Amino acid sequence: MNKSQVLQIKNLTVSYPLDSEKNAELKALDDISINLNAAEIIGIVGESGAGKSTIGKAVLGLLDPPAKMLAGEIKLLGKSMIGLNETQYESLRGNQIGYIYQNPMTALNPVLTIGEQIIEAIEANTNMSGKDSYNFAIHLLERADVSFAKDRLQKYPHQLSGGLCQRIVFAIAIAAKPKLIIADEPTTALDVTVQNSVLQTLIKLSKEEEIAIILITHDIGVVSETCDYVYVLKNGKHIEQGETVEVLEKPKQQYTKSLMASVPLIEKRLHRFSLPNSNSEINSLNLDYLKEERNIEFSSQQAILQIKNISKTFFTPASIFKPSEAFEAVRNVSFSVKRGETVGIVGESGSGKSTIGRMILGLEDLTAGSIIYQGQDLSNISNNEERLKHQLSMQCIFQDPFSSLNPRMTAGENITYGLKIHKLIDANKAKSLAEDLMEIVGLKKEDANKLPHAFSGGERQRIGIARALGYRPDFIFCDEPTSALDVSVQANLLNLLKDLQDQFSLTLLFVSHDLAVIRQMCDKVIVMKDGKALEKGNNDDIFESPQHNYTKSLLDSMPKFSGIATN
Amino acid sequence: MIDYKKKLDTLSLQIKSIFSGHPIAIAGLIGFIIFVLTALLAPWIAPQNPYDLMILDIMDGLLPPLSKLGNGNTAWLGTDALGRDILSAVMYGLRLSLFVAFVAVSIGTTIGVILGLLAATKGGWVESVIMRAVDLKVSFPGILLALMMLAIFGTGVDKIIYALIIGVWASKARLTRSSALQEMQKEYIDAARISGIPSWRIMMKFLLPNSIAPVLVMVPMALSGAIGAEATLSFLGVGVPITEPSLGLLIANGNDYLLSGKWWISIFPGIILVLLVLCINVVADRVREFNNPYLKHQDRQ
Repeated sequence: MNKSQVLQIKNLTVSYPLDSEKNAELKALDDISINLNAAEIIGIVGESGAGKSTIGKAVLGLLDPPAKMLAGEIKLLGKSMIGLNETQYESLRGNQIGYIYQNPMTALNPVLTIGEQIIEAIEANTNMSGKDSYNFAIHLLERADVSFAKDRLQKYPHQLSGGLCQRIVFAIAIAAKPKLIIADEPTTALDVTVQNSVLQTLIKLSKEEEIAIILITHDIGVVSETCDYVYVLKNGKHIEQGETVEVLEKPKQQYTKSLMASVPLIEKRLHRFSLPNSNSEINSLNLDYLKEERNIEFSSQQAILQIKNISKTFFTPASIFKPSEAFEAVRNVSFSVKRGETVGIVGESGSGKSTIGRMILGLEDLTAGSIIYQGQDLSNISNNEERLKHQLSMQCIFQDPFSSLNPRMTAGENITYGLKIHKLIDANKAKSLAEDLMEIVGLKKEDANKLPHAFSGGERQRIGIARALGYRPDFIFCDEPTSALDVSVQANLLNLLKDLQDQFSLTLLFVSHDLAVIRQMCDKVIVMKDGKALEKGNNDDIFESPQHNYTKSLLDSMPKFSGIATN
Repeated sequence: MIDYKKKLDTLSLQIKSIFSGHPIAIAGLIGFIIFVLTALLAPWIAPQNPYDLMILDIMDGLLPPLSKLGNGNTAWLGTDALGRDILSAVMYGLRLSLFVAFVAVSIGTTIGVILGLLAATKGGWVESVIMRAVDLKVSFPGILLALMMLAIFGTGVDKIIYALIIGVWASKARLTRSSALQEMQKEYIDAARISGIPSWRIMMKFLLPNSIAPVLVMVPMALSGAIGAEATLSFLGVGVPITEPSLGLLIANGNDYLLSGKWWISIFPGIILVLLVLCINVVADRVREFNNPYLKHQDRQ
């Protein structure tokens, strides 16, 4: 046996009993074997439902009650962990195995200071106490690259940023010098510039403290930056494993190939994601409804939308104790969008990118500036009918597929309800239109009768697109439409959006925090931070020769993944 | 076109999943159904019409249970001072108690839901006025408020219904508002707004069906509360008129005789009242538990 082997998982099988039928089981993990050595980082990648997190839970002995471990063996440092009781597991957790959660803000106790939480972890797992543990806490924070360690000990979690909180979680995890750390999507909740440095800290800890790390993630870029070795899972089954470079760039299995092809690249813009099952059948469908009344005689140079010096200030409600505070979400932003092009707004959370879209759609009032759409200032339209016409020709694809459809209406009703209200279609034609639209966005027309909960996230997002298309829009605001989706679903959806754009000459304003998605989708890019537009330019210019320092740092902190080697 | 059969099927499936494996809740539901049926059918199944003073015979007064009446019938639960058959009086009393509670709770809930939705969607001064009114109502003890109202407006079945409505609407308005506010954060509301759908349609077709669940869960609770409140008011003599006794008034009637050994006049309506409220509460608890994901989890273990 290899001396430095930390964890060995052999033929692990975990199943969940299904509620619907008796004796039916869902195999969350099916015959999975994993080996892990000291100072090594392995990545477990897969899309949602792949069973990635179940591995971590099985190792920690934290499988949720209905789940059962059917077969297999888990050995930590050569000792079997099967059949341990709760007390024995408790002495392992924290002591030998550390765990890092996805969301650092919820992993820390909000009513205790950072210092209290770290010292509690130290005193629970070592013999230190008093001054020793205080000094050791400072030492740990410094190991986890937390600046001003002494001051931070006095702070509460809500006073620190997400990145800092995650480092503090790291510090707590290494308090007992564990041999193994399980990190479940440790950077998913963080902004990209923070993500990079947090990952660097994780790598440093692994190498210097000789800790073996299981990194569970859906992000191929993170894996390629961080891991030595990769396991690819799908629906609980092992698909492929190997050295990171080998698996990511020269995958052998078909699933891995299509997964890698779905990852949006930052280096070059592709016409479409090259997916094995991508079929564009839009042309063969009945599109009379969508095409009629559409005035396509426009010059492509004409700006459909002009944003002039818009600002938005939010005020906190005033109270007796505290005067109202102003928060400038958008500061003096101007840009214009030409017909048929896609303009992207990229920025981290809180940069004001979604607020711009909400102002354009009329969901928020402007504090200053004006929005000129199809040659008319939107705030100056007195004629109600004209206002409605403009309003309906601007549609939105929302971020969260689980809240963007009315759960009490069928897919078809969701699509055509507004059209019927505005008498844009006859009530008796609504059903067939809903079915046509379902087919256009790649869903089955029979499914128009189902309620939203019967669809997956990607399918719901397609219903949302169908709803927007029904109004025969000229302009669609896409508010992070794929951020809640798996990467392969995202690639399919982005391909669909591009197809629809070509077919119906749509103008898109595409907001995302994901630089690679913006790179693939947009003709022009606006980089935003703290409500200000820092840089504007063509796609290639921004990504290949960025001018602003912030843009440069954003691009530098993107995890590097160059895609499948083409040879 | 709505597929009623399908809706009925899903409803029965849901009822099944709420109650299966919970014998106490099933017993409560069956008990409640029996009470409702008895109340509905009282004019046909009751041995006597207790409202018809002409058929009462003073000679039959204060007979203990199982006695023979002057006309040869058996008074299974005895008679009161006027010679009224207690069993019949309880059936009719149950009918009145349930009727008053049902009407008050449905009207009160409807008013509360509409006001709650208005507060959530309109905001501004509309919301302030509605919610301050709720605060004002909630800050009074319910029974005190009802007593005051009945003292001012007089007694009667309609008056007691008004008094109970006042007791019901406020908490429903508060609940609806908070649940609707939560729902309004969701993107489908934004989607409806940018599609120019009129706000009253958004309220009725989008907000109402998605935010009513927590209110409906509280309805059985409100029902048992209303039955209890009505019984209390009638017992105190400010509720229903003496000619149409509800359960509370029947208990009050027997109150004077309790110490002289004539226990049956109060005890039987009392038992029925307790059983009725118990049945509803058991069902209400189960429905609430079913709709609470945290309790459901414990339930499974």
